[in-house]
Amino acid sequence: MNTAKHINREESIRSSTSHNLNTLPATTYRWLKLNQLQLEIPDWDSKHSYHKEFLKNGDYDINEQNTQDIVLKKMDASLLLPNHIKASLAKKMEYGVSKEVIEECERSYNSGVFVQVGKEKTILNPIRIDYALDQDNPQVTDFNLIYAEANSKLTIIMDYSNSDNSETIHKGATQIIAKEGSEVTLVKIQRMNDKSHHFDSIFSTVDYNATVNYIQVELGSKNSVTNYKSILNEAGKADLASIYFGDGKRTIDLNYLMEHKGRRSISNIQTKGALKDTAVKTFRGTIDFQLGASKSEGAEEEYVILLDKKVKSNAIPLLLCSEDDVKGHHAASAGKVDKEKLFYMMSRGFCKEEALKMIVEASFLPTIEKIADHELRSIIQKEIHRRLMNEKL
Amino acid sequence: MNTNKKTMIEDLERGLYDIKDNFDYSYKTETGLTPEIILQISEQKNEPVWMTEFRLKSLQIYHELDVPPWGPDISELDINNIVTYVKPKTDLNNTWEEVPNDIKNTFTRLGIPEAEHKSLAGVGAQYDSEVVYHSIKEELVKQGVIYTDMESALREHEQIIKEYFMTCIPPRDHKFAALHGAVWSGGSFVYIPEGIHVDIPLQSYFRSNAPGAGQFEHTLIIVEKGASLHFIEGCSAPKYSVNNLHAGCVELFVKENARLRYSTIENWSKNMFNLNTKRCIVEKDGLIEWVSGSFGSKVSMLYPMSVLKGERARAEFTGVTFAGHGQVLDTGAKVIHAAPYTTSVINSKSISKDGGKAIYRGALKVAANAHHSKATISCESLMLDNKSVSDTIPALVLLNDEVDIGHEAKIGRISDDAIFYLMSRGLSETDARAMIVRGFVEPIAKELPLEYAVEMNNLIKLELEGTIG
Repeated sequence: MNTAKHINREESIRSSTSHNLNTLPATTYRWLKLNQLQLEIPDWDSKHSYHKEFLKNGDYDINEQNTQDIVLKKMDASLLLPNHIKASLAKKMEYGVSKEVIEECERSYNSGVFVQVGKEKTILNPIRIDYALDQDNPQVTDFNLIYAEANSKLTIIMDYSNSDNSETIHKGATQIIAKEGSEVTLVKIQRMNDKSHHFDSIFSTVDYNATVNYIQVELGSKNSVTNYKSILNEAGKADLASIYFGDGKRTIDLNYLMEHKGRRSISNIQTKGALKDTAVKTFRGTIDFQLGASKSEGAEEEYVILLDKKVKSNAIPLLLCSEDDVKGHHAASAGKVDKEKLFYMMSRGFCKEEALKMIVEASFLPTIEKIADHELRSIIQKEIHRRLMNEKL
Repeated sequence: MNTNKKTMIEDLERGLYDIKDNFDYSYKTETGLTPEIILQISEQKNEPVWMTEFRLKSLQIYHELDVPPWGPDISELDINNIVTYVKPKTDLNNTWEEVPNDIKNTFTRLGIPEAEHKSLAGVGAQYDSEVVYHSIKEELVKQGVIYTDMESALREHEQIIKEYFMTCIPPRDHKFAALHGAVWSGGSFVYIPEGIHVDIPLQSYFRSNAPGAGQFEHTLIIVEKGASLHFIEGCSAPKYSVNNLHAGCVELFVKENARLRYSTIENWSKNMFNLNTKRCIVEKDGLIEWVSGSFGSKVSMLYPMSVLKGERARAEFTGVTFAGHGQVLDTGAKVIHAAPYTTSVINSKSISKDGGKAIYRGALKVAANAHHSKATISCESLMLDNKSVSDTIPALVLLNDEVDIGHEAKIGRISDDAIFYLMSRGLSETDARAMIVRGFVEPIAKELPLEYAVEMNNLIKLELEGTIG
């Protein structure tokens, strides 16, 4: 899609390959072109590396031999994983934006962490992992493994951003294993620059009475392709709250899958977004009740505010069901900002732009408030604010 | 799991639908699909050259296109084992007396002549590949209404047919549309002139009797400016051990300010592959209402499409699907909003039981110019046991911001609370469950023409009576 004037010498050497990404679990009419996303991914060789420190040295010194509370190490091939963790990884699971991307992440990662929280341990302070890509560190390929032992509790926040305006790429895979009674909260914030590419896959296994919360904030990148899959065993709970803000020529592609395998499992997907300029968004969300998942409940909701004539909004919320004793519900809605709300705000003295901005921000707020980091919350709010007002100012 | 608590609903009582006639025909083609067979069909029908060429072109397209990679498995269907054309042992008749006894008896059992007498303004009856009976009330003819079989229409109104035939659903649309274009036979043609309101419904009934045969009827309806029509389509077939194929085409043209209600009760036997295509183009201020009941067939892939081409055009779809043992009913509705201020409402209900698969597959597209469009989609699925499957696969594509789109889907089984409440009111558990199932489909039953609503209620009642608490 590069126009001639944008191609500089460096870019012209680069090649890219077309990939099929984020394929739907159940495909449908081809003319809609929603079964998967076809996208060119730049072929960058592995010499692109990431040298910066990504683990914020806070409460956990990773150089020291870890205490029993938590093991936190940078992902490394020489890492000796405990046997029981190895065993649970042995089964090759299918997940992610595509098989090729996942294989690349698992094989030739250049960053990422291994986290193991001990039995009955609660880690109070969130673990922060921050990537700031730039010209000298143009590629992050991270592979993360989060293992929560029984009844443990942990929050991890991963932030992807750029410190300059060069084209960069992030490919990532994160696996979460939440054992009996544990609670894992993963927050992923993506605010990379408009030239960059973002491919992220998360796979979680939720055991008896365990909870996995996933909070996703999608603000940046030229192409942002993300995938989340959760396998819910008996009484497992998966909660997904995401927000996206698409402006400029951004492509946002989301693919969520909640696979209910065990009884009394609960899943919840809440997605809110706003689209501006010529942004394109595709939302694919699936709740899959498999045989044996009786007494399970799944809910899914997507709400998008359309701010410009030329935006493109696709949604395909699936409900697959092979078990009768379940409750499944999904809803999707799209439209402009509610006229009455707008009118009310304007009657209170706000100008139209400001009223519009407040309504959009208000719809994002419940999700943003779930992020347990004050600094990040205000960064996100400022970023959305800046982008919403950009055109008008 | 206590299976005793589940409502055991027997398969649809098909009794009268399953009575077979002797397989008696005056002409039939060999099985399979070759240009020679196409030429034979065309020659039998004495068609104009352009139609013969159209058929051959469609055959070529059929060979070029692939079977859709999505949806139910139809690999069992082998077109080389299907007889594409079976001419019954009679010509087109204008009175039931002239129709041969066994064929007439079949339609009498199905209640067609009785309904004609009581509540219809015109009737068409197709038996295998050809229409055997067609009638229309005299006063409608005087008003310029045309209601006839496609073969007669091709002879008598060739220009209109040439202008409209397979323009709404071109053969290149999908493999089975191409197949239809190649071997189509029978069906009805309806033309309602400007400003004419046909108050009493017209009905075409399609009966497939020959084993291992295909039925490829073509229905073409044109409702001119400001006119209105209610058209009813019924289909059934007895069950054979070999697979039958139904790949009909329904093309509807609703002109400015016109209204059309198209009702279908489909009760094919469970050896039928029902790969039907229905589409309607709605002009300015026009309205299309689809009312659709899918009960029969082994595999159904049926997604009526409404193209809202003119400003303020409207589409409404109301459908119920009941999938029992061995059935895969993949149904739904597609709407394209192609003009400003267009509105669509989709309301779909499905029930699956005893290993049946009910799938709602829909699509909604709002084009870039279709500002101020409104759409509501609602899907509800009821599962009666955990051997069955129920999927909802809707797709929404929006290319415009001035829209108001809502979609909602629910899935589940009959709640224990509701059963408990009704039982506390003195109903037996079985009656309570039956009442809830009837209540579930009631909004659809209300939309059906009376005799069809009665038929649907009977079908469901028969099943519910066979329940074991």
